[in-house]
Amino acid sequence: MKNVILLIIIASLLTSCFKLDDNLFNPDSEIVEYKLDNYTGEQDFVLDASYAIPSNLINVFTLNSQAPSESVSTTIYAIYIGDVATINTDTVIMYCHGNKWHMDFYWQRAKLLAHSGGKNNYGVMMVDYRGYGLSEGKPSEDGMYADVDAALNWLKQNGLSNDRLIMYGFSLGTAPVCELTAKPRSLTPSKLILEAPYASVAVMVQDAAVLGMPSSFVTGLSIDNAEEIKSVNQPLMWIHGEDDSFLNINTHGQVVYDNHQGVYKEAHKINGADHSEVPLMFGFQNYCSALDLFIKK
Amino acid sequence: MPSRIVRPLDKGEKAVNLHVGGPLIGFAGKTIPVPFTSLMYAQGVTDKTTVFGSLHTTSLLFGVVQTDIGACQNIYYNDSLKLGFSVAPAINMAYDTWEGNFKLWPQLDVNAYWDIKPQKSFVYVGVDNWFELSGTKAHNQSQKNRWIINPQIGFTHVRNKWNYNIEGKWLTPYLKNTPNVVDYKGISGKGAVGIYISFTRKF
Repeated sequence: MKNVILLIIIASLLTSCFKLDDNLFNPDSEIVEYKLDNYTGEQDFVLDASYAIPSNLINVFTLNSQAPSESVSTTIYAIYIGDVATINTDTVIMYCHGNKWHMDFYWQRAKLLAHSGGKNNYGVMMVDYRGYGLSEGKPSEDGMYADVDAALNWLKQNGLSNDRLIMYGFSLGTAPVCELTAKPRSLTPSKLILEAPYASVAVMVQDAAVLGMPSSFVTGLSIDNAEEIKSVNQPLMWIHGEDDSFLNINTHGQVVYDNHQGVYKEAHKINGADHSEVPLMFGFQNYCSALDLFIKK
Repeated sequence: MPSRIVRPLDKGEKAVNLHVGGPLIGFAGKTIPVPFTSLMYAQGVTDKTTVFGSLHTTSLLFGVVQTDIGACQNIYYNDSLKLGFSVAPAINMAYDTWEGNFKLWPQLDVNAYWDIKPQKSFVYVGVDNWFELSGTKAHNQSQKNRWIINPQIGFTHVRNKWNYNIEGKWLTPYLKNTPNVVDYKGISGKGAVGIYISFTRKF
């Protein structure tokens, strides 16, 4: 019996490579094209025609993304809403989407951002992280940061400066926003907007386990917005649904907000809103107005 | 995990046990028990005391060496009612081989059991208690759940060489199971129902 147990231990340690990291990512890579307004799959909401984006302001293109630890680049897809020729004077929102599917799913949200403060008022940049939509590769935390930075680098090459960059993260997307603000690469944003942010994978694991289990027991991910936000001095806008059934407003969002010690911060707790319902329950006009006021403040 | 030992083994008796099961969760549109597994070895020290130790095999697959070591003590038995009470204090320990993190938490299993036939099958009800030693969680947040209570009910079908056990637990029935990144299936939105089956070979 002793030998059997010893064998199980040795075999398991040698072969143990199970981690729940992949569960954080929920991509759909089955699509063959981006349909944007013609997308008929499940969406959180669909905007009316007044939020339409003129076709000449919709730019779909590819970027090469390479994480510091990688030797080859990965081709990812990006969408820029706005006039590329005026990026050198425009204010641009870098929108980092959540863990679900692909950019078609988030297209309506990107349109809302573009229309905050007026029709097509802001440029909006969005990428499908590797493994999402038409982007090549497999999702990973480091890859996601590299993918967002590839978008920032493209914006920089087209004339965007730090003072006109706003970073917006929703759910999973709050990780690259906090990471690339705390440890800037191509550009340093002037303001942050976090919608339904994670505090950290540690909180995710502890919420699930009740006991204070170390996150390394189940995941190799190191997302830690609650710590990274401590070194962020830029103004912060935090939006979170009070009825968020996925990321607890108290154990996740509130901790991130409390840990921010920067020059300015504001919180919007949206009554009755679940994880993906913030723009809807806030009210589209209220949501857009609040974003615009924060950006212009 | 299910109760390790509810009714102590006979003095000198040995047993090896495999358990499968865990809390029910929603996964890919279906409700499934988390597929936790563990192997346990137990030995009767006296007719009233059994010691045990386990290896959590699912945890091993994640590079985590986890064990619980304890003893079951029969504290009361009524011959006419065939009713007994036992307690099983244990220490849980887990160590991950990736980052070297270690976690220890005590446990106390308290059960009442009824022998259905003399020395044969039995049913039991009880409470599994876990104790969190740390007063803080990640990011220095206060840990409010220091004593975790999980009521349980089970049935053990006893054969000559094998025991077959099924147990249901209601894990943390006093805590709301949302919001949470795991879609736990509880009762009236509280806790999680756990289903465990186990097979025991006696020597």
